[in-house]
Amino acid sequence: MLAGVSIPLGAEVRILLHQTSFGLLFPSACPSETLPLRCAAWTEILWDAVVPEVLLALLVGAALGLSGATLQGTFRNPLADPYLLGISSGGTLGAAFLFIFRVGLAEANLVLPLLAFLGSLGTGALILLASRYLGGSIETLLLVGVALANVLSAVLSVVLLYNPVGSIQVSFWLLGGVGGASWGRDGLVLGGLLMAGAPLMLFGRQLNLLQLGPEVAQSLGVDARRVRHRLLLLASLATSVAVAFTGVIGFVGLIAPHVVRRVWSSNYRAVLPGSALVGAAFLLLARDLSVIAAPPGNLPVGLFTAFAGAPFFFLLLLRHRRGVYMGGGG
Amino acid sequence: MSSPIPLEVDGLSVRFGPRRALSRVSLCASAGELVALAGPNGSGKSTLLRACLGLLAPAEGRVRLFGTDGTLLSIRERARRVAWVPQEEAPRDNVRLLDYVLFGRFAHLPPFTGESEVDRNAAARALAEAGLADRSDAGILELSGGEKQRLALARALAQEAPLLLLDEPTAHLDIAHQLDLFERVRRQVRERGLCAVAAMHDLNLAARFADRIVVLSHGQLVSDGPPETVLSVPLLREVWGVETELRRDPTTHRPYLLPLRSVAQGILAGPADRRLGPVHVVGGGGSASPILRRLVEEGFHVTAGALPLLDTDAETADELGIPYSAEVPFAPIGEVAQARTRELLSAARVVVIAPVPTGPGNLVNLELVEAIGHPERVVWYARREELDYTGGKANELSRRLLAGGAKELNDLDALVAASRQAIPTGSPLAVAARG
Repeated sequence: MLAGVSIPLGAEVRILLHQTSFGLLFPSACPSETLPLRCAAWTEILWDAVVPEVLLALLVGAALGLSGATLQGTFRNPLADPYLLGISSGGTLGAAFLFIFRVGLAEANLVLPLLAFLGSLGTGALILLASRYLGGSIETLLLVGVALANVLSAVLSVVLLYNPVGSIQVSFWLLGGVGGASWGRDGLVLGGLLMAGAPLMLFGRQLNLLQLGPEVAQSLGVDARRVRHRLLLLASLATSVAVAFTGVIGFVGLIAPHVVRRVWSSNYRAVLPGSALVGAAFLLLARDLSVIAAPPGNLPVGLFTAFAGAPFFFLLLLRHRRGVYMGGGG
Repeated sequence: MSSPIPLEVDGLSVRFGPRRALSRVSLCASAGELVALAGPNGSGKSTLLRACLGLLAPAEGRVRLFGTDGTLLSIRERARRVAWVPQEEAPRDNVRLLDYVLFGRFAHLPPFTGESEVDRNAAARALAEAGLADRSDAGILELSGGEKQRLALARALAQEAPLLLLDEPTAHLDIAHQLDLFERVRRQVRERGLCAVAAMHDLNLAARFADRIVVLSHGQLVSDGPPETVLSVPLLREVWGVETELRRDPTTHRPYLLPLRSVAQGILAGPADRRLGPVHVVGGGGSASPILRRLVEEGFHVTAGALPLLDTDAETADELGIPYSAEVPFAPIGEVAQARTRELLSAARVVVIAPVPTGPGNLVNLELVEAIGHPERVVWYARREELDYTGGKANELSRRLLAGGAKELNDLDALVAASRQAIPTGSPLAVAARG
């Protein structure tokens, strides 16, 4: 179920338990009737390709969900998500430069995520910088982000127009995928997620207060501007980490916070961790669907987040049309 | 706190770009005092409150909160000193009321900790003060507009700040909720010694609840004092551009006002003599009151006299802000009053004589009218021969005036029309009046 190659479920479980317990639970990874060569192949597929991919889906989903929740709270806008502000466009542009300069594949494995990461984080920083000079109201910040996103995608279009070869690679990038996962990459994403997520969890109360409007929030003791800038920076970091390794995966950051708000609580102390969980589960589901639909796993996950997410989202909106959602604790 | 004075505003100016929204405003507010900020739209009330909250930076001058310069306070420290009730709460999420009020405790929470028993007690107490204790588990979206404002008050009270700023908190509420909210605010001020400063549009509400009214106009402080000295007919005309009748609540002795009409633009800042007129009314005993009131409503500059003090017509003239010559009651009209009346009469474009009983004491009024020598300017309103108690002298005088061109009219519409006609259009006075 997890891999494109069919491995018996019993063997899958056994291999996973063997690997995770460092051989303590099952001294040999496979049942004795399995050929050693096949066992080694299964182990390699599961442990070095499938598991890292599953983990990457979980981590990236969590990062996107968290980032979406943070941005929606920061901008008091239910449409805000990591991609509206052009944070991801920066990453795409960064990646596109790589394709254009035709760096060898070996180097690309390292350089591509780095360029994408720098591109998106740089965009986040640029938005912050611009807002500082333009007065920094929420609306200004949002407009600057949207304008920047447009400029970046225009630049991207120009670049691709002159590089037809690169454009195919970039369009795959634009659809996003969790292929090419490895333990090392998972570690990097986990590091980034912790760096952004751990501080973000402390901002729940401030985010709750920001929902009352910047003036009321400030009268209650929240330094609205400063908090907003920090939140934006942390959300950019979470997004950049995700974008670096998976390209642009839409919809997760948009709907995860809505799901949490509708079925659980609108309290940001619940919305932040909840969105990370829902985002992780959602991206894993999309990844599994993509594997089932196209066994070699070549259909980009980004397509499935939209395919699976949109109908589910409509259903949610319908069922909870007049629901009451309460938060616990300030 | 280090100083007993919760709020000192000292020469405060605030700019929005080149525009000066507030210009060297100074005022104080003490503990146990409810101060109303009044002024027309755009006069700077909200700007002043926002500057006190630290949401706007002063261009000049400063705001001191309990003796400390506001700019030196951190946002958290400030939130422990000043609480804020905005004009309207616009919540999006259906937060439980108790949680909403707990938002007010943020500035009291040590970093990264949750609410303690102390915070929950403060929130519960604040909910009770706002009359929402029995609904603490309800969601905010279930509340009516009036209840939402009470909830905003509860949140501010939970903040336990000794200074409470309110920005037209009842602007969207019905009259019962308006009274209810300010009664609660005043109770806090009286019983807990809070200092409250509220921007208020409704001057009657301000006069009723405030200990002091501070009037702002075009970003400047125009008047500051108790309601009975601050609210006056000329001030209301100058600042709000509205003609009013000012009365006094017989039980509270607070002033209350009856708006009559807005004054056309262009007259607003001008002196009284630039309005249509003047029209002088001779009356007494209440006979002139309907005329005075109608003429003021129609935008005329009206004078009256001579009238005995404490007479019904004199009271009406006071309420309408009409200048008049006066004599002490039950005395013949003396030299000084006569001179003043002569002055008013000779300035008048139209002289209206109300159906006042004429006796030896006030016959001189009619004689003065005749003496100015313009019978064509005189309108005799609802003339009746039986009102003459001078043995025919008054009737004789009236016949002479009518023969000389005075008009005799019997209803107010015709009187207004005649007065308008008598004041030629195109004259500098009329042009000024049209603005």
